[in-house]
Amino acid sequence: MSAPLLELRRLTKSFGGARALRGVDFDLRAGEVHALLGENGAGKSTLIRIVTGAHRPDGGTITVDGRPAGPLDPRTAQRLGIACIYQQPALFPDLSIAENLALRLETGGPLRRLDWPARHRRATTLLARVGAPLDPRREVRDLSMPEQQLVEIACALGAGARIVIMDEPTAALTQTEQTRLHGVVRELRAQGTGVIYITHRLEEIFALADRVTVLRDGESVGTRPAAGLTEPELIRLMVGREVAQPYPPAEHPPGDAVLRVRGLGRRDAGVRDVSFDLHAGEILGLAGLVGAGRTELARILFGLTPADAGTIELRGRIVRPRSPREAVQLGFAYVPEDRRRHGVILDLPLAHNASLASHRRLFPGGWLRPAAERRLAEDFIRDLGIRCGGPFAPAGSLSGGNQQKVALARWLATGPQVLLLDEPTQGVDIGAKAEIHRLIRGLAGQGLAVLLISSDLPEVIGMSDRIGVMRGGTLTTLLPGGAAPDAVMAAALGRATEAAR
Amino acid sequence: MSPSPTVPRPALRHETVLLAVVVLEWLCFHALGPRFGTLENSFDLLRHSAEIGLLALAMTPVILTGGIDLSVGSLLGLCAVLFGKLWRDAGLDPAAAAGCTLVLGALAGGLNATLIAGLRLPPLIVTLGTYSLFRGLAEAITRGADTFTNFPSAFLFLGQERWLGLPTQAWLFAAVAIAVWLLVHRTTFGRACRAQGFAPEGARYAGLPAGRQLAAVYVLSGTIAALAAVIYTARLGQARADAGTGYELLAITAVVLGGTSIFGGRGSVHGTLLGVAALAILNNGLVHARQPREVAGLLTGALLLLALAAGTGPKLWAARRARATPPPSP
Repeated sequence: MSAPLLELRRLTKSFGGARALRGVDFDLRAGEVHALLGENGAGKSTLIRIVTGAHRPDGGTITVDGRPAGPLDPRTAQRLGIACIYQQPALFPDLSIAENLALRLETGGPLRRLDWPARHRRATTLLARVGAPLDPRREVRDLSMPEQQLVEIACALGAGARIVIMDEPTAALTQTEQTRLHGVVRELRAQGTGVIYITHRLEEIFALADRVTVLRDGESVGTRPAAGLTEPELIRLMVGREVAQPYPPAEHPPGDAVLRVRGLGRRDAGVRDVSFDLHAGEILGLAGLVGAGRTELARILFGLTPADAGTIELRGRIVRPRSPREAVQLGFAYVPEDRRRHGVILDLPLAHNASLASHRRLFPGGWLRPAAERRLAEDFIRDLGIRCGGPFAPAGSLSGGNQQKVALARWLATGPQVLLLDEPTQGVDIGAKAEIHRLIRGLAGQGLAVLLISSDLPEVIGMSDRIGVMRGGTLTTLLPGGAAPDAVMAAALGRATEAAR
Repeated sequence: MSPSPTVPRPALRHETVLLAVVVLEWLCFHALGPRFGTLENSFDLLRHSAEIGLLALAMTPVILTGGIDLSVGSLLGLCAVLFGKLWRDAGLDPAAAAGCTLVLGALAGGLNATLIAGLRLPPLIVTLGTYSLFRGLAEAITRGADTFTNFPSAFLFLGQERWLGLPTQAWLFAAVAIAVWLLVHRTTFGRACRAQGFAPEGARYAGLPAGRQLAAVYVLSGTIAALAAVIYTARLGQARADAGTGYELLAITAVVLGGTSIFGGRGSVHGTLLGVAALAILNNGLVHARQPREVAGLLTGALLLLALAAGTGPKLWAARRARATPPPSP
């Protein structure tokens, strides 16, 4: 076999005192999809940043095409044909597709003549190569997230990239969009490109990868062919222990209905005629495609965008939350989808985040009580297993999974009756994910009524006592927990044909 | 195990550095001007910094929420004129007139609050508008010429005499300083201001009464501007429509110099007090050192820019050093 496209030997890197990489070996061959796996903080991002030239390694060698490449800087990496597609595409929203491509690909002085027809021809060709028949004149802001990712990939191809790194490209995609992206990745492989593919979704690895390298605590715990690996084996490699029961079972049957929603809707949010009951101790999953109205429904219940139709009945009383503040006082809690913007305040310490929604209960009279606040934070750090540098570490210094636990802690401190969870494990590593699942089940076990919005199909099926499926702004189907993924998907798509796939 | 991100702790807090600057200023001017260090001059310093100090104290929670109040200098002028009008033309005794002025100041702050918190208009634009509006009203009331003077000596006691050994207004200033410090650092109100300054949406999602909160800081700012107007009038013994011109910028300078982030969230009231002290000593000291007034403006600007650079410079430097780590051994 010819020399690998990319070879990393004994790569090390430390930040301050923390050793992010402790001598990692990795290689990528032409025409393969090599999945890179590991919990958050295992060293994946550091490895990627060294390959793209954003970080300099402390030690080790980088070989591209059999030639030593020395430490890379971003420009050299690009020249060597290395490109990275991030989860959030970094395109200029106000420019057209062709202009975005031209910005990265065209060379020449600022006063050169522009050849628009050639620009558009080139863009069309590149888009065709990634299977995206888009008009290159369209502005990027009008494109969906997956379409923007395809433009990024087209850009990488145009730059002659032979090593394409994809960092969780499907984290925000629906099942159909994911399938389409997988097609593009296979096409890249067929063209001889080497793809480093990072994901938290194990099923993607079996669908796509040729080989898998698992990182743990800054070390490679092995590179294996994907064929022949099983899911439990992979999980064991990642977390270093057997995860026997991926989804914790319900301990008690659900109790009385806490929340009755009838005909709920809001015209400008695209939600209409939603009806369901939510029982004490029950986890009601909400599945559906992105844009089906699930987050919008949660926002209505939490008073962020009050309803203009229908009723909400909480423990037999009709309520109309008109602001988050009213919703909180009624006993609603909402862990929002966008953790970094809405879920926690990154610049505030962990303890201040945890107490933020319970000021009236914790601090009667409005005077802060530092001792009580510290105790609250320490209790949650212990009970939820939050890994942090103490109760006063800024929330922004925690990993994604631990930030999510802080977001959860904030609401548990309010003693809620109904817990609305919106994509609670998105972008969270697999160990923390299992812990969050256990926490959610434990909370339901204590009698909390939980509405779980999730685009992660195995999660919503595994966690829920019942599964509601939303489509086009309304709740169309209620399925029992443990329903077949095909059935949930079919309901979300509103088509029987897709389920057969 | 995920590597705990190392949060670089600054070697020195901003407030510590500023305290050193204040002490240094004091020593310098003490050496330069023979009269600078006298008790009499120290009292002068206190008298002259009370009004801007009050405005800066009220500005601190405003800036902590990520807002700004440009109208306080104009409002000081308007309130001074209203106070004079209430006393001379409406025949109220000074204490009652002062009480009414505070209420009017709160109402004027309420106008800012309604536009900012109620209609969600940007504070910079709203208070830029009321900046002109309040000054215009003050000039309309006095027709640009009327000056209120001949206040009774019992009232002037507030601005020109001493009580328990200190200038009278120093006591008021200290009381407001303690109150604002407690509000910002020891109450849920202050915490919510910070939350709002760091992440306005995040504060809303946490169920905080963001609108009421925001309204309150602007009403407070208006009320304290009115208090500053009364003290100003008592110190000078006259009230004119141009009172407090440019004070809003001095107050903002003091707050930012004190380490409060103009983007909101970060900052302290003791930092603001040090900022006020640094500016006041600089201005007063230069007079005693027989330097032209223009030098004061120049040095104030230099001090502010230095303080800002000192805040971000070391971080940038550290980042650059981190990037320039030695290449790996082959």
